[in-house]
Amino acid sequence: MQFDTQLLYASDQALLALMIFIIMLGMGASLTIDDFRAVARRPRGVLIGFMSQFGLMPLVAFTLVIVLNFHPAFAIALILIGCLPGGTTSNMFAYFARGSVALSISMTTASTVMALLMMPILLELYASGFTQQISEAMRAEGVEGEFVIPTMNIITSLLLVLIPVAMGMFIRRKWPDWAKTAEDTAGFMAIIVILYLIGTAFVRHGGLFLQTPITVYIGAICVGLIGFLFGYWFSRLWGVPPIFQRAISLETGIQNGPLAFAVILLSFTDPIQSQMIWLAILYSTFIVISSSFITLYFRRKGRFDYEVHRNTVIHNRLFGENYVTHYPAGFLPKRIAHDPSQGSSPSQVREVEKV
Amino acid sequence: MFYRITAQNLAELYRKAADHYDSLPAFATRITALEWKPVSYRELYEQGLNLATGLIEIGVQARDHVGHFGDNRFEWILADYGVQLCGAADVPRGRDVTDDELVYIINHAHIEVTFVETELLQERILYLRDELPNLREIILLDPDGKPEPGVRSLNEVTALGAKLRAEGDRRAEERIKNIKPEDLFTLIYTSGTTGQPKGVMLTHANMISQVESIPSRHYCADRVLSILPIWHIFERVFEMYTISFGACTYYSSIRTLSEDLKNVEPTFMGSAPRLWEKLHERILKNIRESHPVRRALFRIAYFLARNYKDSIYFLSDKKLKTRPFAEWKRMLLAPLHALRWLLVVPWYGFFNAAVLERIRLGAGGSLKATVSGGGALPIEIDKFFNYVGIPVLEGYGMTETSPVIAVRKSDDLVIGTVGPPIPGTDIRIVDYETGELQYPNEKYPDQGRGRKGEIWARGPQVMKGYYRQPELTEQTVRDGWMRTGDLGMITYNDCLKILGRCKSTIVLSSGENVEPEPIEMRLQQSPYIDYCMVIGQDQRFLGALIVPNLEEFRRIGYQDYSFDDLAENTRVQSLIQKEIKSTISTANGFKSYEVIRDFRLLPVSFQVGDELTNLYKLKRHVIENKYSDLIRKIYKIEHVTVEQ
Repeated sequence: MQFDTQLLYASDQALLALMIFIIMLGMGASLTIDDFRAVARRPRGVLIGFMSQFGLMPLVAFTLVIVLNFHPAFAIALILIGCLPGGTTSNMFAYFARGSVALSISMTTASTVMALLMMPILLELYASGFTQQISEAMRAEGVEGEFVIPTMNIITSLLLVLIPVAMGMFIRRKWPDWAKTAEDTAGFMAIIVILYLIGTAFVRHGGLFLQTPITVYIGAICVGLIGFLFGYWFSRLWGVPPIFQRAISLETGIQNGPLAFAVILLSFTDPIQSQMIWLAILYSTFIVISSSFITLYFRRKGRFDYEVHRNTVIHNRLFGENYVTHYPAGFLPKRIAHDPSQGSSPSQVREVEKV
Repeated sequence: MFYRITAQNLAELYRKAADHYDSLPAFATRITALEWKPVSYRELYEQGLNLATGLIEIGVQARDHVGHFGDNRFEWILADYGVQLCGAADVPRGRDVTDDELVYIINHAHIEVTFVETELLQERILYLRDELPNLREIILLDPDGKPEPGVRSLNEVTALGAKLRAEGDRRAEERIKNIKPEDLFTLIYTSGTTGQPKGVMLTHANMISQVESIPSRHYCADRVLSILPIWHIFERVFEMYTISFGACTYYSSIRTLSEDLKNVEPTFMGSAPRLWEKLHERILKNIRESHPVRRALFRIAYFLARNYKDSIYFLSDKKLKTRPFAEWKRMLLAPLHALRWLLVVPWYGFFNAAVLERIRLGAGGSLKATVSGGGALPIEIDKFFNYVGIPVLEGYGMTETSPVIAVRKSDDLVIGTVGPPIPGTDIRIVDYETGELQYPNEKYPDQGRGRKGEIWARGPQVMKGYYRQPELTEQTVRDGWMRTGDLGMITYNDCLKILGRCKSTIVLSSGENVEPEPIEMRLQQSPYIDYCMVIGQDQRFLGALIVPNLEEFRRIGYQDYSFDDLAENTRVQSLIQKEIKSTISTANGFKSYEVIRDFRLLPVSFQVGDELTNLYKLKRHVIENKYSDLIRKIYKIEHVTVEQ
C-alpha cells in the first residue's frame, strides 16, 4: 500500500513533537540519579533484561517481518520498534503486575542509555537488507539515489530526545511536587494524542484501516505479545525470582513508543516515513491494550508471591536487615522457598528447609 | 494457603499458634518509625506460660477474675496470655478509667490480683486501696516504671514462674486442660448510658466462634495494624483472629498512625468511622491544596470510578435495596449499565492506576480490607473509600455479642449496610413498641424485608450474661435472643441495615420520631463542624450542640481563636447557621420536622472517655447533663434554682 498524501500534516507533526517532549519530560521527572546507581546494584537482572531487550526483541521483530513477508517500509519500522529501549509506561505496568518496579526502572534507565550504541548496530544488522528493495522501488519511480539507514540521524534524534529527559530529571531534583504532576500529565497526554492521531487518520484516510494488510496488524500485535512471552521464559530460564520475571517480561514487550515517533520523524523522509509512522501508531495502540491484559494476568498469578515478598521486605524494613522470616513448613511453594524476599534482601536467602 | 487454626479455648489457641507459627512475629512494638521490636509466637507463648505459673504461685485460681487496666502495648497481650494460660479471666479497662469505675469494677468483679499499665495507674489504685478490701496483688506492666512497695513488676512475676517451670512445674498445662468452653475468658465492664457499668461475661466459646466465622481471606504473610483500644472487644477479636491465621499485629497509635500506615503497609485493620472521617478530610484537603492539574485528574478519576463501580454494583445486584426492585426493571436497566461499564472501563483502568493508587498509598496501599465498627459509617465516606478502592467493610455488633453480629464481605459488598449476619447467627426484626415480629414473618411480603424494628440476634457469640445482674440479663437476653436496642431492617439483598438506636430516638412534642444519627452524620461531614449532637426530646423542634472545627476556622482566617472565641463570634455563628440550613434541608431529603431550628457552639471539644466512648460514640446523657444550661436556653426554659 502507498500513501497518496502525507499521513501527518505539519500541525500533527508539531503536536506529536510536543507530545514526545512532554512524555520524555515526564519520563525524566520519574527518574533520579539514584536510579542510575541502582543499575550497578542489581547487575544480573539488568543484564538478563538487556539480553532480552536487545537480543531477543530485535530478533523477534526480524523473524516476524520475514514470516509475514512485510513491505520494506513496515519492515524497517517494526525492526526499529524491536530495537527501541523500554519506556516509562513499563514501570507503571510492572508496579501493577506486582513485578519489581526497581528493576523495571533500572532496565529502562540502562536501556535508554545503551540504545545510543545498540540501535545503530542492530538496525545495521537487521534492517540493511531491506534498504536495497526500497532503493530499487525508488529507482523504478525515477528517483535517483540510494536509500540507506540514516544512522547518524538516528543517533542525533536519540540525543535530542534525551534533552527533555535530562530536563525532567532536573525538575524532579528541584521541585519534586511538580515532577509528580508532570509524570501524571505525561501518561494522560500520551493516551489523548494517540487517540487523536488514530481519530484523524480515520477521518482523513478512512480506507486506511481496510487498506492496511492484515499481516501488518498481526505483526503490530504480535511483536509485543511475543516479547512478553519470550522475556518471561528467558528470565525464567536464568532462574531469576518471579517478581523479576514479571518486570523483565513487561520491559521486553513494552518499547518506548514516543521514541519511535521521534526517530521516524527526525531521521526518515517520505515515501516511507508515513508508513513507518502508521505502524508505530498501531504498535502504540495495541501495546497499551495487550499489556493491560498481561498485567491483569500477572497481577492475579503473582499475587501470593508478591504478598510474601512485601511481608518479608517489611520485616526487614522494621526488624532490621538481618531479620530472617521463617514461614511454617509447607507454606511457601518451592519456587520461592529458598528466598521469600525474592532477591530484595540478602539475609532471607537460605538453603531450602527440608519438609 | 488460606488456613487458620482453631481450638476449644483461647489458651489452646495460643499453644497451637506457637506450634504452627513458631518463629513468625506475633506482635511488634514501635521504637522509632523504622525500628520495631518483634516477639515471635513461640517466645510469646513461653513467656505467657512463665507468667501464668507466676500468677498461679501468687494465688490466682482457675476462673478467677484478674484486673487488667491499661492500653495497647505488648505487655498487655503478654498479661492476657498469662491470664488465659492459668485458666482465669481478665477484667480489662483502658487508662482512661475513672476512680469511681475502678472501685466499682474491682469490688463488683471480686478482683484480688490486678495488672496496671503505668506508674500513674499504680498510684491511683494505691490511693484508692482503702476502698478495695479484696485486692491483694498489684502487678505493674510498664517495664520502665518503678513499682511502689507492695507492688510487683511484670518481670518479677514472670521470673518467678520461669524459675518454677525450670524446676518442672507444669501447673499451667493442668489449668489449660481444665478450661471449659463455657468458662469466661473476659469480663468486660461497659459504661452504660445510665447507671453503673455492666459486666459482660464472654466465654471462650463466644470468642472462638467469632474467630472461626469472620469471613475473610488472610494468612501468615499478612500484616495487621492495631489502633483501637485493645481492651475493647472489637479490637480484641481482631487480635485473636490475627493469632488464628498467624500474622503479626503492629501496635500503632493515633499520633503515629499515618506514618505507620506507610511503613507497615497493613493488609488488615480494625477501625472506627472517625478514623475514616479524618482520613477523608485529610485527602480532600490535600486535593484542594494541590496543583490544578492534579485536582482535575483526581476529579476525572473519581467520576470514572463512581460510574464504573456503580455499574458493577448494579450488575452484580449489590446495590442497596431497601425497597423491592422488580426483576423486569433490573433486566431492562442491565444493558444500560453494561454499556456504561464498557465505555468507562479503559479510562477507569488508566486513572485507577495513575491517580487513585496514590490515594490508596495514603492508607499503606496494601489493605485487603478493613472492618469499621463501633458506630455508623457516614454513607458518603463509605462510598468515597470503596470507590477509590480502599475496601472499608462496615461491621455491626456490641460487646454483648463479642462483638460481631454482621459484617460485609469483600466480595459481597453492599454499601450502606453492615452486610449479612455472620454464619450461625440468626436475626429477627421486632417492633420496639408492640413486640410484633417483623422479620422473618410469613405475614408480610418478602418475609418482612424492608420493615423497621429492633434487631434481635441469636448465635454462638451471645454473652453468658451480665455478671451478678440476673435481672438485667433476663431483660436483655431471652431464649438466646439478644435484644440489641438498635433499630434496623433486612434489605432486599439480605443485608442488615442499621437505622439508629431505639433509645436515642428523639420524640418531639408533636409526636414525631426523629433519629438523630443520620442528621448528625450529615452535619459532621461539614468542614466547619467537628462533632454535633441533635437534641429536642419532648420539645417543639430540634436543636443542636456543635463543636466547631477549630483547625478549619484557623485556616480560614480565625487564627488564635479558641472555642470560646468562636462560640461568641457572630460571623462564625452565621457561617455555621448557613451550613446547617443548606445541609439539613427538605431539598436534601430531610423531613420538615427534622430541620435544625437553633443551635449553640460549645466552648470545649468532646473528649474520649468523657463525652465520647472509646469508639467515638456520643454519650448523650453525659452531654445533656453537662450542657443542660445551653439546652435550656435553646428552648427558653425558665431556669429554676433550688435553694439548698
